Amino acid sequence: MPIGHLVAGGIGSIRTSGDLIGRMQLQKKMRLPEAKDYVAKKLGVSSIELCDEFTMRKLREKLDIGVITGLPGAAKGLEAKVRIAELLGIKINCVERLEKLSKV
Amino acid sequence: MELDKLYNAILNQDVEGAVKIAEACLKAGIEPLRALDHASEAIRQVGDLYGRSEIFLPQVVLSAEAIKKVADVLLKKVPRKKRGEKAKFIIGTVEGDIHDIGKSIVATMLEAQGFDVIDLGRDVAAEKFVEAVKKHKPAFVGCSALMTTTAIAQREVIDALKEAGVRDDVKVMVGGGATTELHAKEIGADEWGADAMDAVVKAKRLLASRTCLLKK
Amino acid sequence: MPEHLTRRGDGRLITMTGKQIKDDLELGSKDAAERAKIPELTGEDLETLYEIIIDANKVVAVKHGCEVVLSADAGGSTFWIDSGTSGLGMPIERSIAQGALSERVLGLDILQFPESDGSFKPAKVIVSYLANVIHNTLHTSISPLEFMAMPNLGYFYKPDGQWPEPISLIREGKNDEARKSMEGAARECHDAIIYVAKHLRRVGVDGINIDTVGAAGDPDFYAALTATESLKKVYPDLAVQMGMATEAVHGFHTELKYAGERLAGMWPHQQLKVAEKAGVDIFGPVINTKPHLTFPWNLSRAVTFTKACVREATIPVHPNMGMGVGGVPMLETPPLDTVTRANKAMIEIAGVDGI
Repeated sequence: MPIGHLVAGGIGSIRTSGDLIGRMQLQKKMRLPEAKDYVAKKLGVSSIELCDEFTMRKLREKLDIGVITGLPGAAKGLEAKVRIAELLGIKINCVERLEKLSKV
Repeated sequence: MELDKLYNAILNQDVEGAVKIAEACLKAGIEPLRALDHASEAIRQVGDLYGRSEIFLPQVVLSAEAIKKVADVLLKKVPRKKRGEKAKFIIGTVEGDIHDIGKSIVATMLEAQGFDVIDLGRDVAAEKFVEAVKKHKPAFVGCSALMTTTAIAQREVIDALKEAGVRDDVKVMVGGGATTELHAKEIGADEWGADAMDAVVKAKRLLASRTCLLKK
Repeated sequence: MPEHLTRRGDGRLITMTGKQIKDDLELGSKDAAERAKIPELTGEDLETLYEIIIDANKVVAVKHGCEVVLSADAGGSTFWIDSGTSGLGMPIERSIAQGALSERVLGLDILQFPESDGSFKPAKVIVSYLANVIHNTLHTSISPLEFMAMPNLGYFYKPDGQWPEPISLIREGKNDEARKSMEGAARECHDAIIYVAKHLRRVGVDGINIDTVGAAGDPDFYAALTATESLKKVYPDLAVQMGMATEAVHGFHTELKYAGERLAGMWPHQQLKVAEKAGVDIFGPVINTKPHLTFPWNLSRAVTFTKACVREATIPVHPNMGMGVGGVPMLETPPLDTVTRANKAMIEIAGVDGI
């Protein structure tokens, strides 16, 4: 059933920019228009392009914030989140933990 | 005037007040069964208010308690042969389902409307329903199931009643969040309750149509 | 008059004339408005809803630019859960289902990692196991990840817990004893939520999703609100998403208040306001589907409740739109025509921030 929601009205997670917009909602209580505006400005794209696979596939690859396909060498998982925290200007709990642990 | 007071006392969960007003009704020469009809109207209103989340289970229980005590007072003045028998209603949530609340609300509303309710609780196996039917000889069996995964167990109860040869001795009613009228028909139940008040209305309708034999 | 293919609330296919659909849309909206004392849908809303329902295409979708965030109720658990008739029951590693598959296949923007049983009390016992799996999932997934469980106050009452079963006490007229029991269970549940959250935060989880809130009435809601308030005081970096169980909070205690407001009988727009005060980051109202009534009636009613909730919100609102809620039929395999129509209606008419 989640696929029905994805097809009808989902942003698309790491396929486009859904993870970034979702993060701003969850961590900063941003309503949808505000979260979309915030992420669009950080990425330098329009609101429509946020949900566009063509734009976002290239942009995610360029920014190295994780892509949906198995691109060799591209940032994955936690690596991508380190870059997302920086890009969005927010703290991400598991990234904070990594930074704390890596300061030997 | 006294009848309006009786109605309001039951609606406002005033158990002691309702009993005193019932006694006053008798003193005023009001026909006891007419007074009881008025009290029943109040309980119907309680059911409506509950359905709209304007009152809650504790208030429903107090109103039910009030009408039970009022009925005790009023029925003493009614000749035994005119009183009728209380219909026994066995109720339980089916096996595998631990949801107790909806079933308990139906049980409370049935008691308030004069049914003799035997509550088997939750997670009740089909064979327990059969045992209870054999022991208590009820007019009704009610099976509650909240989930789509347990609604199928309502059919198991009906099948078990058939296998034990007691299916035709009772009217089976089913209900619960995941059930529908069509589901009830498909599994061979006699009636389906959309909510607590609907279940009471339909049970009373079955009684009134005399399709349901009272077990003495 | 031409007939349109639509469904009942249990998912069965039916046909209805345009007039029958319009009548049910009005009746559904009116029912919600009367119950919660909120505005009915406008004429324009009803017309839009009608067009969505009679669309000849099997699957419908929102306009470009209207897409919303999907947090979608434990999404990836669909792969591995097998509860008899719901869930696929596939032999699959949970970390993969809740992480990679959820964001790469299901397209979920916020990932929800549920406890197998679904409740905080058993989660407490296996928190070390959960912490390890969530830790692994955080390493391999990119989208924000929440741990998800229900307060499920039923587990704190006998025979599963130490507190006397309150519904029986209420039925015996022992309201004071029932209330003490409910208050004790709510305190214990609060502590269980904090305990689990504390351990999962250590591995870096992004948030806690307190789900199916209010299933055991007002004390259940109270436990979730007080736990949220405590979590926000101690761990402000931990997000809290709250999803409800029912459209109206059942009153069993009936006197429990939060922020001065009585919880019993609250409707979605009122639940939202106390959730905001507690510190909730994303709120998920639930509108229950009536399986015996039509899909148009149910959807109109769900949209009416949700629109009123969204209008009052200062935080994101993600209505629950799984099986049997949010206008979606009560069927383990909800028909895609209804799921996509409910989705479009909630986004374009109610104005939700996510689902």
